[in-house]
Amino acid sequence: MKLKILLPLILLSFLSCFAQAQNPTRVSIKGTLQDTLHQAIPFATVMLLNNSDSSLVNFLSSTDKGEFAFNNVKNSTYLLKVQHMSYLPVQMLLQPSSAAINNIPVVTMKPISQMLMEVVIRAAKAPLRIKGDTVEYDASTFKVPPGSTVEDLLRRLPGIDVDADGNISTQGKDVTRMYVDGKTFFGDDPKSVTKNVGAEAISKVQVYNEKSEQSKLTGVDDGSQEKTMNLELKAEFKKGSFGKVTIAGGTENRWAGRANYNRFNDKSQLSFIGYGNNINQTGVNWEDYGEFKGNNAFNNFDNGDFGFNRNGGRMFYFSSDDSPVSNYDGKGLTENYGAGTNFNFDNKKTKFNASYFYNQTQLDFQQKKYQKTSLVNESAFDQYDTLINSDFRSSHSVATRFEQEFDSSNKLIVKANFRFATNQNHEITSQQFSDTLLKPYNIRTLNNFTDLASYKITSAAIYRHLFKKKGRAFAYSVGYNSNFNDGTENYNSINKFFDATTPTEQIRQMINTNKNVNELKSSALYTEPLSKRVFLEFFYNYSQLTNKSNRQAYPFETEVRIDSLSAYYDQVTMYNRVGSVLRYSYNGLNASVGIAEQQLKLTGLYSLDKGLPWDNQKVTKTFPNFTPNVNVNYEFKNNMRLDLGYSNDISAPDFNDLQPIKNTSNPSYQIIGNPDLIPENAHNVEFGVHYWNPSSFSSIGVNLNYGITMNPIVYSQSSHFDSNKGMITTSTPENMDQGTNMGSWLWSSIPIIKTKLTIDFNGGADMSNRPTRINDTLNDIKSQNYNLGSNLNYTATSKLILSVGGSGGFSKIRYNKSEKNNQDYFNYVIRSSVKWQFIDRMFFESNFNYSVFKNESFGFNQSIPLWNASVRRIMGKKNKFETRLAVFDIFDKNVNINQYALLNIVGTTKTNTLARYFMLSVTYNMKGFENKIQKNRFM
Amino acid sequence: MKRNIPIYIIALFIFLSFQSTGLKAQKLEGTIRYLRTQNWAKMMASVDYISKQQRDRSMYMWGTRSEWKTYTHLHFNATESKYENSEEEAEPGNEGWSDRKEIFFMKCNFKDNTLYDGLTLLGKTYLIHDSIVPPKWKIMNDMKEVAGHICMNASMNDTLRKQNTTVWFALDMPLSSGPDRFIGLPGIILEVDVNNGALIMTADKIDMLPLTTELDVPAKLKGKKVTMSEYTKLIEKQIKERKAAEEPWFWGMSY
Repeated sequence: MKLKILLPLILLSFLSCFAQAQNPTRVSIKGTLQDTLHQAIPFATVMLLNNSDSSLVNFLSSTDKGEFAFNNVKNSTYLLKVQHMSYLPVQMLLQPSSAAINNIPVVTMKPISQMLMEVVIRAAKAPLRIKGDTVEYDASTFKVPPGSTVEDLLRRLPGIDVDADGNISTQGKDVTRMYVDGKTFFGDDPKSVTKNVGAEAISKVQVYNEKSEQSKLTGVDDGSQEKTMNLELKAEFKKGSFGKVTIAGGTENRWAGRANYNRFNDKSQLSFIGYGNNINQTGVNWEDYGEFKGNNAFNNFDNGDFGFNRNGGRMFYFSSDDSPVSNYDGKGLTENYGAGTNFNFDNKKTKFNASYFYNQTQLDFQQKKYQKTSLVNESAFDQYDTLINSDFRSSHSVATRFEQEFDSSNKLIVKANFRFATNQNHEITSQQFSDTLLKPYNIRTLNNFTDLASYKITSAAIYRHLFKKKGRAFAYSVGYNSNFNDGTENYNSINKFFDATTPTEQIRQMINTNKNVNELKSSALYTEPLSKRVFLEFFYNYSQLTNKSNRQAYPFETEVRIDSLSAYYDQVTMYNRVGSVLRYSYNGLNASVGIAEQQLKLTGLYSLDKGLPWDNQKVTKTFPNFTPNVNVNYEFKNNMRLDLGYSNDISAPDFNDLQPIKNTSNPSYQIIGNPDLIPENAHNVEFGVHYWNPSSFSSIGVNLNYGITMNPIVYSQSSHFDSNKGMITTSTPENMDQGTNMGSWLWSSIPIIKTKLTIDFNGGADMSNRPTRINDTLNDIKSQNYNLGSNLNYTATSKLILSVGGSGGFSKIRYNKSEKNNQDYFNYVIRSSVKWQFIDRMFFESNFNYSVFKNESFGFNQSIPLWNASVRRIMGKKNKFETRLAVFDIFDKNVNINQYALLNIVGTTKTNTLARYFMLSVTYNMKGFENKIQKNRFM
Repeated sequence: MKRNIPIYIIALFIFLSFQSTGLKAQKLEGTIRYLRTQNWAKMMASVDYISKQQRDRSMYMWGTRSEWKTYTHLHFNATESKYENSEEEAEPGNEGWSDRKEIFFMKCNFKDNTLYDGLTLLGKTYLIHDSIVPPKWKIMNDMKEVAGHICMNASMNDTLRKQNTTVWFALDMPLSSGPDRFIGLPGIILEVDVNNGALIMTADKIDMLPLTTELDVPAKLKGKKVTMSEYTKLIEKQIKERKAAEEPWFWGMSY
């Protein structure tokens, strides 16, 4: 009996289970769209979204009867979303269906209110978003003048009314509540916000309905809502800053300090930097300088000297005008101080930059020099110098740049830099002259002081106009540069002879120099597109350079001028050039052919002193020339690029070379100008191929150049032994027949094991042939330089990077009239380095260089092992501190060696420099240090 | 403006009715020109494996001057579309210099659900015939107007390139096309924003005109034939290698 009752129950429950399980796996979802007047809505977008993440499952468009049907979709929970441009979007949740066809109730859509629609249509670009009942304006698309308040901004927003008293209403209702970033701001009155907050801080304005305070308090929704406005602040408007401070002290009284601080927001950047040290950092490093200059570190290429090269293209260069970047050449010991500030403003249309920098360097060095001067007929003489030099330099520089883009077709750039610099130098030199058999002739001791001050102004304005026709452009530039130098030079020399009969020669002179160079220049460029691929350019350049220089020499402590060493010059160089370029540019081929007619006019007057009558011997020269130019650049498939160029350059002789007056700072080596010089005329051909494989990251490049210079200006050398003056060399610039030079350069980088092991190669060969007059005999001096380098870089792990490599150079100097004096010298260096993060936040860095310098004919052979090592540890909560213990030159062997060759002179110098010291430093970095080895430094 | 609302509304209705009837009657055929703006500093800032210091530095030094603008075209009719680069210079003043044109087109046939792409990757040309697999879109709630069309927004997350993309698609242009690889929504995508401005493509000109040969692809093309998943693997490999070298992955490759 019981079973009779139970069985149906069991059956029933089983059935109901079955019924539930019977939900079809796939269903069709059908429905109809209507507006509030029960009219069908055709062409609406109906989307089926996954309920969990709003991802799109399927979509379709409603039929002209307003119907839609998703057939054969998985039976699951969906969001149904319906959109139509004239209706408010509708979204509804669909539960899994028990029937195979899920007929959903009629979907009713409300038309978008006229006010909203007006806003949508009126606002041209992206100002409005509707999120449910929230309307959001993108404030950045509504332009308000700088300094405007939020109220001014709101007045511009479509659909929002602001009355004369500042009361706000939207969609017919008053805005009663105002938030900033979702929070109440200074009480309840919206006007306290709109009248006080700056419009530029606002990124979004949101308007929505919020439950009244009453219903918020009671928790009972009484249906009354208040119009609420929320102002979202710009993320980037929030200010940022970063900076670093380092202090370091070491053995041998070594010390260093460095600090930099930057503040910025989305439009402006302000930075400060300062340093001081006696470890031969004569300025800041590139990395710090880049951050110091901020978004002005790389300038658009603002060259106003238009010509054969394409102007107006996108090029960037590191602005390095008088940059305070360290430029230590490896000689001596220095003590350095510097500080500067930089300000950038950039709102896309207007860019402004101003910076100031002061730096000073005291340099002291002692040098030993050996040099051989080869003469004709296998003769030569030797010179041993010892030199003690003390040099102080300081400079104040101010740089400004202003760029204004008036509209898309008009742009103006104005730059002005000012620099004031001083230099005091004291040099004591002892020169011993002897023949090649070491028989000494004479010893000359020089004791020279110079004291110079200079002012420099460089300025330029460039204006660019783009015409309506694409490719038609006009550019005009004007520039003014001025340089004023004022100096005093004191020369003292004592010349002693090994031959006892010759009396000691003594010279003591004081020279006042005064030089004022002014340059005014202007250029114009017009580009006309002949077709989409062919362009014709015309350019015109003008410059006038005036050089007024006065040099007055007196014997020590007298006021009687030494006429032979004194002169006042007034020189003018006028330059005019007019030219044209025909350019073809299509699909990777950019080729141009150009020609210009240029005229150089040199006028020089001179007298004994400023105010005295001009001498009859005046220079007036005009050099007209045609200069052609060819340039071809082709991009092959597969990232290969070819460059080919020919240029013809005419360079006027330097005025110093034209002055027939002696410079007596070194009586043993005197340069006398030559008023008969004519310009050099150089023809240069350049060729280059570069290949880059973006997949393997290997690259290779070759560059070749060849040049012939007609009438090259070469310093003729005349050396002889004067029984009263010792060994004297007189050097005079002269135009020779023709000189040639050739150069080649190759580099390559190949990953052997991708991202692990890379090998780099580079090599080059340069040859030059300069005919030189030596002791009135024409001599062919051929010099050849070869260099080769290679480096192997191994990234063992992300915590260990090793590198080993080397490079070497070999120079050959050949004299055809004095073959015995031919010279060969070479140098090479082997390098290795390691960067190792041996424990978390602990790093070991070391490098070892072994350098060898050799000149067998001098019997010169010097090797220098230089080993540096440091351990650093990052500390602090956010890695903000770093301590570093470093040893520089562990073997205490560092010395500076330089081998050189110039015309008939070959020499070697050895100069003292910084050797072993230990140093402990502490750095605080506001942003914290990276707790890893940086693999590369592309930024 | 505030005082003249009735006039505006009347004008609006006239305009609206013109626009909506006009659009419905119009054949879905034409060309969209996109202004493609790449911001190098923002691209760098989105590469998470590069040290924050380097990313901040590039933003600080290049943030305001690293935009690069070009034009691209999307030709479309009711069933097909083709996306390609435009020869037109987007930045006035850049005329007179021409880079090599790499093979680049992306053609979709939405009737057959097939695509045919000709792409240059790392110096090699690839030809891809495959079926269309649209990205996984999330539909969002915002609306705005782009080039005269009311658009809805959707977003996607590209885990390979580490890109968050927001797009705006037109409600009244019912074709699942869009610029570059951004396809598969109920309407043509008129605006794309990758990683908050690192790459922005905005329709700035829409010509609803009959097409002639614009949808054709070059007849004879040399290139390696691959499937879409093989092509994606090539990109994946390159990104992995650049990541190991801690260099931006988009060096030598489109963002």
